[in-house]
Amino acid sequence: MWAEIDQILRQATRQIADHVASFLPGVLVALVLILATVVAAALVRALLGRALRGLEFDRHADHLGLAVLLGWPSSTTSPSQTLTRVVYWTVVVLGLLLSLTALNATIPSRFALSVFQYLPNLLAALMILVVGAIAARFLSRSVLIGAVNMQIRSARLLSLAVRWLVLLIAVAMALDHLSIGRNVLLLAFGILFGGIVLAAALAVGLGARDAVSRALERQLQEPPRGDDEVNHV
Amino acid sequence: MPDGGAGVDVIVGLTSHNDVGTVGAVVRALQDGLARYAASSAVRFVLADAGSTDGTREAVREAVGPSALVEVESGRGAELGEPPYHGQHGREAALRAIIETTHRLGARACTVIDARLQSVEPEWIDRLLVPVLADGFDYVSPYYARPVAEGAITKGIVYPMFRALYGVRLRQPAAGEFGCSGRLAAHYLEQDFWDAEFAPVGIDLWLAVAAACGEFRSCEAVLGTRGAVSRGAPTDLSTTLKQVVGSLFADLERRVDVWQRVRGSRAIPIRGAVGGMDPQAPTGNVDGLMESFRLGYRELREIWTWVLPPRSIVELRTLTETAAERFRFDDRLWAGIVYDFAVGYSLRVMPRDHLLRSLTPLYSGWLASFVLQMEGASLQGIEERVERVCLAFESEKRHLISRWRWPERLR
Repeated sequence: MWAEIDQILRQATRQIADHVASFLPGVLVALVLILATVVAAALVRALLGRALRGLEFDRHADHLGLAVLLGWPSSTTSPSQTLTRVVYWTVVVLGLLLSLTALNATIPSRFALSVFQYLPNLLAALMILVVGAIAARFLSRSVLIGAVNMQIRSARLLSLAVRWLVLLIAVAMALDHLSIGRNVLLLAFGILFGGIVLAAALAVGLGARDAVSRALERQLQEPPRGDDEVNHV
Repeated sequence: MPDGGAGVDVIVGLTSHNDVGTVGAVVRALQDGLARYAASSAVRFVLADAGSTDGTREAVREAVGPSALVEVESGRGAELGEPPYHGQHGREAALRAIIETTHRLGARACTVIDARLQSVEPEWIDRLLVPVLADGFDYVSPYYARPVAEGAITKGIVYPMFRALYGVRLRQPAAGEFGCSGRLAAHYLEQDFWDAEFAPVGIDLWLAVAAACGEFRSCEAVLGTRGAVSRGAPTDLSTTLKQVVGSLFADLERRVDVWQRVRGSRAIPIRGAVGGMDPQAPTGNVDGLMESFRLGYRELREIWTWVLPPRSIVELRTLTETAAERFRFDDRLWAGIVYDFAVGYSLRVMPRDHLLRSLTPLYSGWLASFVLQMEGASLQGIEERVERVCLAFESEKRHLISRWRWPERLR
């Protein structure tokens, strides 16, 4: 009987040892991967920081309107610092996910795989946000300068409206790309834009009909204003 | 190589587009002038028409006669996109074709006239061509008697900056009419600006710059008052300013090696007696101009801080708080602003269209101040005031050179 118990115990020990022996290299590989990831992330952060400083990224980001986007979460963080932090933690997280696959664990591996598959969507969404921020800045500035030159007193308001409109569209497109709240977004934007157009139409049609018709008449009938008669060149 | 076999002395270039109503009178005035002042010269008219559909070409053929007329291909008619401030689409192609013909025929002198210009007189031949034919000048620039607000971009930006940069006192360097020698025509054809970005709107100015930068003798010719030339809807002030100042700034980048060496400026001979100007000419809406400046300061100040130093911004703020009767734009401040915008343009601190258009309220402020100071002034008084602006530009030029060489100081 003791012999049987001893055999079972030996067998169990052997099995545990086998499992540990088969699992240990994975753990070791995972640890090496984590270590390498941290080193690589630190290296990337240092190199990227230096490159961004050399390229005067903060100044360009400010001019392109990315400072607001990249300045988050605090106003004291410069765009280049935010970008290097984002890149650092992205590399670290990707390294950790990669190391999970080395453990041969089914659930973590599947999770890591799904994150990797999702990555292109994330990058595309990020790109949409960046392009949206640049376009918002460019268009809002165009509207501001154009409206000031036309002596429209609410130039700033118009410019802000254009900026937020473009930013909202960019955010909605990015979320749609990530398949987050697709139906809600579609509905919300439909209601929002439909509401704005309807409100504007009602405001002009009911409240300012006479003013608009007078302005159109003036535009069509009156000769140019005094300052337009002057040849400036 | 010039084709000297044609035996042509003078080329009279006409640029036109649907000008059947005026071209006949223009040709007759020029023929009269040629008969009076260049009777011994063999003359060819060169018509650079931008695709007229109203019979302009036929009218010119009839007025000039087939043997004395050369028709050249010159650009297109109306195009999509922003119209040029002078209303002539493809003007650079028209001028190039006329100058090429001058060179090809080996002519000694050439003049270019707009076929819609109703103020053309026979004396223009004496003023624009005779200095080239008889006195050895290479470039003849027009000098028009212009009221206070007329040509204010030229008075406040183009002339002072041109003079400070290239050292030649040409009062209307961007004018559409000019006379030039065959030697200068050959030099023009060697220039690389014909296909440049601002060529359709800046070509007249660039031709004057090319003459000023080369070893050419220039003079001015008094042509009286310039009649209005309107083709289509006029461009708004912001677009006009963008086109004119943009072409000036673009040329600045091309000729850094020239203007950084020039010190001071020299007067040039003027042909003809300066007459009076139209006392009833519009002066613009001064209140509107000041309001535009104040609104611009309020809303565009943040954009201006990208190119203007804090000192200028402070001075502008003081100006916005000044009452209309004491509203005076300091000449040095104005010169510094224009130069800072030129450096900002070169550094591309923001899209160039935005930068140039954001100058409009500042120009409005300067113009309001200029008109207020010159109320009731004679042509002589206006000239003296413009002279002071020019001296400020010449004096501030060292700052332009400094900022151009060390742009990091701008930031």
